[in-house]
Amino acid sequence: MNTAMNHPKSIIENFDLYAPKLVSKEEFFSPGHRACQGCGEALAIRLMCKALGKDTVITNATGCMEVISSLYPTTAWTLPWIHVAFPNAAAVGSGVEAGLTALRRKGKIADRRVKSVAIGGDGGTMDIGFQALSGAMERGHDMLYVCFDNEAYMNTGIQRSSGTPFLASTSTAPAGKKIPGNQVWKKNMAEIMVAHNLPYVATASPSYPLDFMKKVKKARRIKGPSYIHCLVTCPTGWRSASETCIKLGRLSLETGIFPLYEVEDGKYRLTVEVPEKRRPVQDYVKGQGRFRHLTPDQIQVIQERVDIEWETLMIKVNCSKSREELRAVREK
Amino acid sequence: MVIGEAAIRAGCRFYAGYPITPQNEIPEYMAEHLRQVEGGVFIQSESEVAAIHMVAGASAAGARSMTSSSSPGISLKQEGISSLAACQLPAVIVNMMRGGPGLGNISPSQGDYFQATRGGGHGDYRVIVLGPATAQEMADLTMDAFTLADQYRTPVMILADGMMGQMMEPVVFKEPQPRVYPEIYIMKGAGAGKSKFIRGLILDPLDMEEHNWTLDRKYQVIARKETRHELYGTDDAELILVAYGTGARIAKGAIKRLRNTGLKVGLFRPITLWPFPTNELRDLAKKVENFLVFELSTGQMLEDVRLALQGFARIGFHGRPGGVVPTPAELANVVTRQYDRKQGIIEHH
Repeated sequence: MNTAMNHPKSIIENFDLYAPKLVSKEEFFSPGHRACQGCGEALAIRLMCKALGKDTVITNATGCMEVISSLYPTTAWTLPWIHVAFPNAAAVGSGVEAGLTALRRKGKIADRRVKSVAIGGDGGTMDIGFQALSGAMERGHDMLYVCFDNEAYMNTGIQRSSGTPFLASTSTAPAGKKIPGNQVWKKNMAEIMVAHNLPYVATASPSYPLDFMKKVKKARRIKGPSYIHCLVTCPTGWRSASETCIKLGRLSLETGIFPLYEVEDGKYRLTVEVPEKRRPVQDYVKGQGRFRHLTPDQIQVIQERVDIEWETLMIKVNCSKSREELRAVREK
Repeated sequence: MVIGEAAIRAGCRFYAGYPITPQNEIPEYMAEHLRQVEGGVFIQSESEVAAIHMVAGASAAGARSMTSSSSPGISLKQEGISSLAACQLPAVIVNMMRGGPGLGNISPSQGDYFQATRGGGHGDYRVIVLGPATAQEMADLTMDAFTLADQYRTPVMILADGMMGQMMEPVVFKEPQPRVYPEIYIMKGAGAGKSKFIRGLILDPLDMEEHNWTLDRKYQVIARKETRHELYGTDDAELILVAYGTGARIAKGAIKRLRNTGLKVGLFRPITLWPFPTNELRDLAKKVENFLVFELSTGQMLEDVRLALQGFARIGFHGRPGGVVPTPAELANVVTRQYDRKQGIIEHH
């Protein structure tokens, strides 16, 4: 796709075209780890680390990323990295933040801002780690939580999670003659985080790397809790070809299944334009083995849901106001 | 898978579980097969804690219920196991042990012996713990576990490990026993009958004490009646190995090697880890003086063996924690190193 064609403004004005050259060349998530071919999550973590920079402590919930990056005695991490258990990345991350604050206050460490960043998969964030995440966000720690959502427990063998899409086939929600895969709709985690009144919530995808990195940088800058929900392709679990990793991420946006937006201080904004005429869900579904069993009728059910979700989001994008704007109105 | 099939045949109609290696085969099997039997419900829970408490709910509602996990997940479940014991609710819990502490690794280990046999959670309670050593025994003990759980209204744990979970052996499923569980314990809406309540919170210390003694009397009956063990080549033995589960399989291999060299070694294999077959082991000490405990841990069952034999025999120990599975040859070498015909066990534990 020719980006210049889609942006009628002159190329010089379009900073995004030149931005890749400004991305740090330093690698904080080194190559040589054991991720599968075409792993969207490993790619996303690499980009995230580049955007975060050195002054970062990463807390990792159990999942593929911990296993592939830290097989003893090697490690892919050049940033400080701690891994504890499955349900508690957000709790440990908030402990890291509180500990650093205490030491800084006592003058025991240099007075510079070190960001505590907790990361987890969809299971570790939306299921077992949900309680700890809600608590950490509610307490208002100066930390960032990034959920890398590949829509099932891929590390243990593709069991369904509350991030698994409707009708996808997994090992604990197998598609059979009577029950065609997962029977419930995907939990909308970004919305749940918006309901925590966070200063910054965003959705992201490594298929739009600059958008993702911009969001991470913004979240890093913001003082207080922030949350990024990153949809990542898993060729192993989605039963898709490895080389379609980036393409599937783009399709998820172009079909409107996973729009990229940010919510700053309560105000919604689309960060990557979605084509006026969205592509049909069919285009996204067809390359993935986990949806292979779907009938046209079932795809239509998904299409309707996607349409409604999209319209709901557009209402929010068009009508929502930030808290500051609302305060300004009151002061008049 | 064996456990899953045995559970369904034994009448298990509710299963809740959460993904953790190395036991994913059980929830995956249940997801496919439990839904196919009449009244079968499979739920993949959002956490280990939720799974065990769903089992508590289903058990209170009268269903034969089961959950499974592996070491770190079982640690999370302990609150629920403690309240199952307090509320006297039957349930079967499967633990496919892996290396610990912490998340450890996913290799076979026997490091959860203490946790399992001492209750695991808080408070004065015990859980019946069954340690299978073959696929056949996994099937049989799973069926028995449901019967024991109903009979004593208590949680029962199957303590196996990652290796047992991945093993393939032929299995013949026995005919399941019909369920005996008085309706009086089942919650199903008050209707015309009396209302019932189940609780684990008893604020009055004297009432709580009484409850504790009630439970204890039950545990004493279990300890008296339900111990199981296997003897292997102990009749003419001069040295007896004590091992369970995967450890016992390795021990049997080592014993064959040692007997070929002329050393008469036998095996004492506890099948119930709680209640531990203390008296049966002590009986052996009447004619044999040397025992060697072998575990895939730093020495946990060793303590129960010491309690049974202290002062009666010389006890040696060999352990491989952290997910290492030694060969029978290694164990045979250890035995020849630690045991001398004249002196007996050289390193006395």
